[in-house]
Parts: sequence; structure tokens; C-alpha cells
Amino acid sequence: MSKKVLVVDDDPDVRLFNVTVVEENGFTPIEARDGEEGLKLLKEERPDLVILDVLMPRQSGIRLFRDLKTDKSLKHIPVILLSGIAKRTFLRSQKALTEFGGESVPEPEIYLEKPVEPEELSAAINKFIG
Amino acid sequence: MDVRKILFVTKFEELWFDAVESLMDLRKVSLDHVVFLNVIERDKVALRRGKGYQKIEEVRLREMANIRFINWAETLFERGLEVGAYIVVGSLVKQVITAVEKENIDLIVVGYEKKGRIEQLYSSSDILEIIRRSQTPVMVYKYKPDNTLSVEKPFERPLFATCFSKTSQKVIEYLKPMAPVIKKVTIIHVADPKSLKESSAMGVQKTRKKIRRKLDELCDMLIAEGIDASPAVYVGTPAKEIVTAAKECNATMVITGTSSNPSLKEKLIGSTPRYLAEKTIIPTLLIPPVT
Repeated sequence: MSKKVLVVDDDPDVRLFNVTVVEENGFTPIEARDGEEGLKLLKEERPDLVILDVLMPRQSGIRLFRDLKTDKSLKHIPVILLSGIAKRTFLRSQKALTEFGGESVPEPEIYLEKPVEPEELSAAINKFIG
Repeated sequence: MDVRKILFVTKFEELWFDAVESLMDLRKVSLDHVVFLNVIERDKVALRRGKGYQKIEEVRLREMANIRFINWAETLFERGLEVGAYIVVGSLVKQVITAVEKENIDLIVVGYEKKGRIEQLYSSSDILEIIRRSQTPVMVYKYKPDNTLSVEKPFERPLFATCFSKTSQKVIEYLKPMAPVIKKVTIIHVADPKSLKESSAMGVQKTRKKIRRKLDELCDMLIAEGIDASPAVYVGTPAKEIVTAAKECNATMVITGTSSNPSLKEKLIGSTPRYLAEKTIIPTLLIPPVT
């Protein structure tokens, strides 16, 4: 059975792009439209990799990443952050949340700024599960 | 009633990021999530004779909004806030209600731009419709001309205008958890001049005393929570007197309840919320009626 990649993005066009790249590389995509749905699918499907947007309705990628990396049973899953939000902002946000009493979390495995070329995303995916 | 999650509805023309900044004081209380909503009106991308649906224009408007929201979101994310965004095509009221339901919103923030008479009626009825259907408090920010100073902390010195309906109690409950951000609340009642048509000065004074006692009761509820509160009685047309009172007590925001069933006259001629939105430069917080 091919490895599973969870794609979390609220923009249907971006989701379609990511899903296509995942399929082209021979993996099985699972789609979520926001962080809440993403977390639910993470627990149900236990994917091998997550491609995650940051600015989304209901729950952002920042919170989902935090939830994932502080969960003993999920934190081994690598995450590719793919967003229009700058990496610097993402890191500062995680730092602020830690200062507000949260648990410290590691940096994401890869942070790509939108838009990305298919080859760039393919290379990132294959780095972890190729 | 904690304000944990705010829905910030903007067309960018009438509501700026400084309005969001002004509400950051609520972080001391409970605010931890801001959701942005930009509704692209249908007539900007569709309903144009002979042109069909303008997908390219929709993409352009979406991306313009997206760029703005990313900038705003980055500022808030870096402070440890949770941020979300919706950019949708449709009718304002419907999209606001949808977002409120999906996100479980505690406070809706909208802008109010002074327009032509017909558009004004439309805008104010939109706001009242949002309150009626969502049962969520709405904060209306006045359109900010270049020469107007922005209010830095709306919850610092609110003026609460009460008509002693059941909604008054709801407003008090809303304000209680705000103690850390409120310096002083002024609670006023605007008496109808007809109610003071007593035959003697003593009769008029008795009426005033009765109103004042009711206001004192509301003040005491806030004082018990550690919030400084004082009463004041005004006489005249409610909307005009509220504006006067707001100026006199240097209020940072006006709070008022809304009717569950505004009269046709109110809808067509001019409701208090609309008058307030037009005449005050400070925000107006409209609390939905008790259902």
C-alpha cells in the first residue's frame, strides 16, 4: 500500500495542486480544509507526511503543528509547511505561544513559501517518504 | 460572556487594521483568536449584463484581499494569537452568519461607511439583520476620515445606554468579565420628555429619582465586580442624547441593546444604532436582545 500524505489547505486550488503532486509521486493524498479537520484526519488516518498551510479558518496551521508536535503518538510525522505566511512569523508565533505557557515545539522539517513549483514540492515530499 | 473569538468583517475601504489593534486590549481578558472575513459582493464579479461571471476579476479581488490578510495575520500570529481568514463571494449578511456559525464567534466587528441615503438604509439594515440572525454582539466602527483620531481602547470608558429592558442585564453580564480593561462605565437612561409631564416640579423629580435608582442598581452590579460605574439621566430623543452623553463623559464606546423586532418606522426612518453609527466617531457595541 502506498504511503499516505495529508494535505491541509483551505484554498481548493492549492489543495488540488498539492494532491496532484502527491499522486504524481505515487503516494495517496488525504485532504482537509482546515486545521480542525486536519487534526481529526491525522488521528484517524495516521499519514506518513503532512503538507500544511498556515492561515486557515477554524484552526490555523500554527495550532495544528503545535498539536501534532506535542502529541506523543503523532510527533514523529514529518511536516512540510507550505504557506504565504513567512517562516520568520511562524517561528515567532510558536515562540510567543511557548511563552504564554505552552510546550516548546521543534521547527518544521521544511518550510516552503507559496507559490512553489511542482518539482520543489516533489523533492520535499521524496526527502521524507521517497 | 467572554470575548474569546472576534470576527472582523472588512471591505478594506472602511475598516483598517488599527481597528483590530484597538481591540488587542481584550487579550488581557480572554481574546485569543481573530478571524478575518472579506465578502466580495456579487455585483463586482457577476450580474453584469453580457459579461457573464468574471472569474479573472474574482481571482484578482481574492488575491488582493489575501495579501492584506497575510500582512495582518503575520502581525497577530507573532503575538501568539490564533488567526483565520475567509475570502468569499456572496451576500454580506449570509456570509457573516455562516462564518459566525462555523467559528463560534463571540463578537462581530464591522465598519460603517457614510454613503448616500439609500445605501445608508441598506448598510444599517444589514447590521441589524446580522445581530438578529446571529444573536452575537456587533461592534460598529465608524468610517474613519483622514482627520479623525482613532480610538485606542474602546472598552476603557464605555457609555452604556439602557432602556431597562431584559437586554440591560445581558449587557451587564457582558461587561462583568471586562473588569481588567475597563476604567469606568457610565450608565445612562434617556427619558422621554412626555414621561416628565407631571403637574409639579416634585412630580418630575420623583420620576427622575425612580430612574436614577434603577440606574444605581445596574451600577452596583458592576461595582461589585470591581468596575467603576456611575449613572446619569438625560431627557430627549434617545439617539441624540446618547451622542451628547458620550461627548460629555469622554466615552470611548457606546453600548446599547437592540430590539428583537424593530418597528417599520425605525427601519425606514432611522434607528438609534444607525444614528449612533453616523453621529459618533467612537465605536458602537450593539447587544442582541434576550430571546
